[in-house]
Amino acid sequence: MKTKTSGVPLAYRLAVTSRVVAAALGGYAVAALASVCLAWVLPMAQAQGVITSMMLGFVVYLAAALWCFACRSAWRAWAAMLGCALVLGVLDAGLYWAHLR
Amino acid sequence: MLVSALLCYAGFMALCLAMQKHHASLVGRQGAPGLLRALRWAGWCLLGLSPWPAMAAQGWAFGLVQWCAVLMASAGLLVWLLPYRPRLAVGLAGVCVIAGPAGALLAGFG
Amino acid sequence: MREGFRQAMAWLHTWAGLLFGWLLFAIFLTGSLTYFRQELNRWAHPEVLYQQAGTPESLASAQAFLEKHAPGAPNWLIIAADERLPVLTLYYRQTSESGRGSLVETVVDPRSGEAVQARDSRGGEFFYRFHYELEMGYPWGRWLASLAAFVMFVTLVSGIITHKKLFKDFFTFRPGKGQRSWLDGHNALGVLALPFHLMITYSSLVIFMTMTMPASILSRYDGNTRAFFNELFPATAGMGDTAQRQAPMLPLPALYARYLALVPGGQVGMVSVDKPGTASATATFTPKVGARVAYLPGGGVTLNAVDGSVVRGLAAEPVPQRVAGGFYGMHMGRFAGPVLRWLYFISGLAATAMIGTGLVMWLGKRLLKHAGATVQPFELRVVGALNLAGMVGLVCAVAAFLCANRLLPLALAGRASWEVRVFFLVWLASLLHALWRPNGAGWLQQLSAAAAMLLSVPVLSQFATSRGLAVTLPQGDWAVAGVDLACAGFGLVLAWLARRVWRRALQARAEQAPPRAVRIKREAH
Repeated sequence: MKTKTSGVPLAYRLAVTSRVVAAALGGYAVAALASVCLAWVLPMAQAQGVITSMMLGFVVYLAAALWCFACRSAWRAWAAMLGCALVLGVLDAGLYWAHLR
Repeated sequence: MLVSALLCYAGFMALCLAMQKHHASLVGRQGAPGLLRALRWAGWCLLGLSPWPAMAAQGWAFGLVQWCAVLMASAGLLVWLLPYRPRLAVGLAGVCVIAGPAGALLAGFG
Repeated sequence: MREGFRQAMAWLHTWAGLLFGWLLFAIFLTGSLTYFRQELNRWAHPEVLYQQAGTPESLASAQAFLEKHAPGAPNWLIIAADERLPVLTLYYRQTSESGRGSLVETVVDPRSGEAVQARDSRGGEFFYRFHYELEMGYPWGRWLASLAAFVMFVTLVSGIITHKKLFKDFFTFRPGKGQRSWLDGHNALGVLALPFHLMITYSSLVIFMTMTMPASILSRYDGNTRAFFNELFPATAGMGDTAQRQAPMLPLPALYARYLALVPGGQVGMVSVDKPGTASATATFTPKVGARVAYLPGGGVTLNAVDGSVVRGLAAEPVPQRVAGGFYGMHMGRFAGPVLRWLYFISGLAATAMIGTGLVMWLGKRLLKHAGATVQPFELRVVGALNLAGMVGLVCAVAAFLCANRLLPLALAGRASWEVRVFFLVWLASLLHALWRPNGAGWLQQLSAAAAMLLSVPVLSQFATSRGLAVTLPQGDWAVAGVDLACAGFGLVLAWLARRVWRRALQARAEQAPPRAVRIKREAH
């Protein structure tokens, strides 16, 4: 299944696009959820923990984005992003609920 | 800052000369493994010592920032000079090897 | 898997670098210029005669001006004069009839207390704001710039991973070898200044992190971001609340004396007076920004403005806040003296050139593949045009902005906006020209245009203003003279580059000529 403009197959283009979206949006979600987790867990004053979590968030975003392009397929990229997001999401919900009690 | 820069430049030149390909083109003949190893040690020692003059003069924060800046600048100057003016590059390192430690001692006693 | 990983990172580096390269080039070039923002501000307002005044005198001038023009304002902000820009910058909110306030900014002479009269120009502030707001509305410009910063982060790290011989090729630079030289140059610019590139990129993300990574604030503070900022900056906690009954405040010089008693030898960078003229007025004295590496707004000593008692003294910030402030401060380099400032500028230009060499290589490699073809593929023509307009065109736009500052009539309404319009119009013109002529001839023409404009800047300063080099050099006014001299210097560099492009084109044409002559001879027989 080849496109007209060049010899690059459509499947390849879709895979690349998929990885880009996984890295950009999925990666951000993972980073944000990780920063929330860190903010609850870090043993320091509230505002200081938040600051640290925000700074580390970008490092997590970088790692996630690089992973999305390093892994063997676009499916794996999405699996990794969604999997991490799920685990972190559950963790965050738990930490928040524990704080409420 | 200047003394740190001198030590950085000398250190980088030593590390450069410790590489066979650069040694051969700069010195004109292959370097003995012992010489190359000595140069590598000297280079790392000079680089390791180079932050201290800046930090001693300006405090650890300003000193570290200044040291980073001259570290990058001296490496850049060296790499720029190497293909165009290799003898100047090496000569400058010779000056730095003397002026650097001398400057550090003077600053220490001044 | 190993080789696959490096290859994947190389692919990512190539494409992320291309797609965001033009935007990042513009951000890094204008960002580099920002290190001389105050000098550009001074250069852009040559009519201003700067007078030095001591802190008590300048605070008294500021207070006199503010009491006259903004007696009922909720907050006064006084940015103290410093060596690089010896004027007071005052901010206050002015409520109009509709009730909506606007922030008024006035530049005041510290000795006379009068507003400084100068030509309407944004000067260095234009480059400063452009590099993080891209002249786009709030908050879109910052979001795009932050996205570009993150892509830069990805591109840098993927580049490091890809560069197999980082240590082996540390000192390697082989000029005059075509694509190999471009790669050596790109690698050298990247590796040798790597601490700067990583610092500037990561710190730019930290600066806007409360906007771009707010999840933890919202989660920990239940969506109450105000509570987060109040915890960080307790001095600002009471600001903005409605004022109470009137009460005269102590003169600022007297309050400054109280501040000095607490912080001996402390130099003031900023004074913020909250609810002036009321019983709950406070004055917050913030130390000079350049006194430390870290940039930590919101600190300082807060005094009760009516009786001078201490509301809040200086407190050492906790480590995480200091780390974040350290990144912010390292990015801005406000503490840098002249030598370090030049090193910051050169490092910024190195990053800009690293991006530029990358863009040139991306195209060069693919043009080589199509070397035999008579017609370039459309995409490569577009990339070529974007490279030319994005790099040389941008320099043309900067040069035109500086020329416009000297040439536009002083009485022109909206003069400052017109200078900015000239910048964008020239940039657009360079893009149209580049689309028409993306290759050698286009580069020669735009490089020559940029060189001509930059070389004309000191000439224009001399003949269109009263502060050309003939005046500023003997006076030792290095801020203004420096801008003129730097323009001349960079103009010469661009002229030299233009000459190289021209000579290479002549060489290429000479190499092509004999085969064509042979073909014609053969056809004639």
